[in-house]
Amino acid sequence: MAAIAGRGPTDSTLRVVIRDFRLWVLFATAALTIVDVYLIFVVAPTDQVLGHIQRIFYIHVPISILSFLGFLVCAVAGVGYLIRRGEIWDRVAHAAAEVGVVFVTLALVTGVIWARPVWGVWWTWEPRLTTTLILWLIYVAYLMIRHYAPTPQQGRAWSAVVGIIGFVDVPIVYYSVQWWRSIHPVQVIGPEAADDALEPIMARILIFSLVAMLALFAYLLLERVALRGTEDAVSVIRRQGTYD
Amino acid sequence: MQTDPYTGPVPVAEHTVDAESERSAWRTHRARLLILGGVVALAVAYMVYAAFPGNTLYFVTVSEFLDDPKLHDGQTLRVAGALAPDTFRRDDGSTLSRFRLGDKQPDVPGAAPGSPQMEASYVGVLPDLFFNPHSEIILEGHYDGHEQVFATDNILVKCPSKYQSIQAENPDLVPGAVAPAQTY
Repeated sequence: MAAIAGRGPTDSTLRVVIRDFRLWVLFATAALTIVDVYLIFVVAPTDQVLGHIQRIFYIHVPISILSFLGFLVCAVAGVGYLIRRGEIWDRVAHAAAEVGVVFVTLALVTGVIWARPVWGVWWTWEPRLTTTLILWLIYVAYLMIRHYAPTPQQGRAWSAVVGIIGFVDVPIVYYSVQWWRSIHPVQVIGPEAADDALEPIMARILIFSLVAMLALFAYLLLERVALRGTEDAVSVIRRQGTYD
Repeated sequence: MQTDPYTGPVPVAEHTVDAESERSAWRTHRARLLILGGVVALAVAYMVYAAFPGNTLYFVTVSEFLDDPKLHDGQTLRVAGALAPDTFRRDDGSTLSRFRLGDKQPDVPGAAPGSPQMEASYVGVLPDLFFNPHSEIILEGHYDGHEQVFATDNILVKCPSKYQSIQAENPDLVPGAVAPAQTY
């Protein structure tokens, strides 16, 4: 792998290992995604009531679950940053929030595409959809507040607080379909799901899809954390160039 | 300055001579931002409130609607139920539909037997799954006291939280096959 990645004269061994690990995760993501697409469009049975549109389920559900994971990582790293004040905590929190926002955006987009043919509307102000949109707004605010704060230190601390408090909405989104009357289906996987909610083949493909998208999630997170490190290094160099 | 973008600590930004003037500019700016944020928050809160007229439930059931005369005053609301069998009527060449909605019980196809029924009208194209007996139908509209009918503006279809392959009922079909055209 080092041959592919290339080793510069100043690269530390740890840096090469981290970079090579990212490349392996990228290859694994590509391989898993190709198999996943085959499973979703060829192997997965057509749903009896909904027809082919139901295949979007294998994308929509894992992507929604992984957006929760992104916000969990953001909240935990935010706590780490507020306690330890280490830069790496902030980089992980920031990267996780960005990846989480991308995933929850895709969850909303796939949901809208699925809703139109099945429910008859693109969007309706019902609990699961409304709380998910609020989740999206909270973490977009997280990203915005970093830039609005007067100093980078305040931006890091304030956004960490938003990331931690904002996570309160995640369980609300998850349980919204049980707490309130909703048009959205209830959970088909996990502890709250009914035993017969999914056929075994559908459940297995859903799990595979979750693993494939977890690999994508991990790759994006690693890549973004590394990029944040480079951005920080560049900003230091730029500042030196200005004031030296 | 020696930095490691992957593992090492990166020095934080230091305050410059401009920091104090930036801070006071931020303070005057912050008041405006707070007011703007408050106005936006109130507007969003009002829109959410307006989207749930009368109560905070997404829909009421047919029997809840029939039992509560307060809901018959022409306010916009959602009523959920199931299509009562053999009550759907629509003239040829017309988009005006008339049908009756009964209560929906979980996992029971069609309207619950003996449940109270509500007369409804709708002008427009019906969703694909309107006639599926497993569907729960949600009507958005208001009660027309003059015509004594629930005048529907939008029809939404709620599907069971359960997915099943078409082979379960059609064992001859292979995975990935196109679903046969459904006849109602």
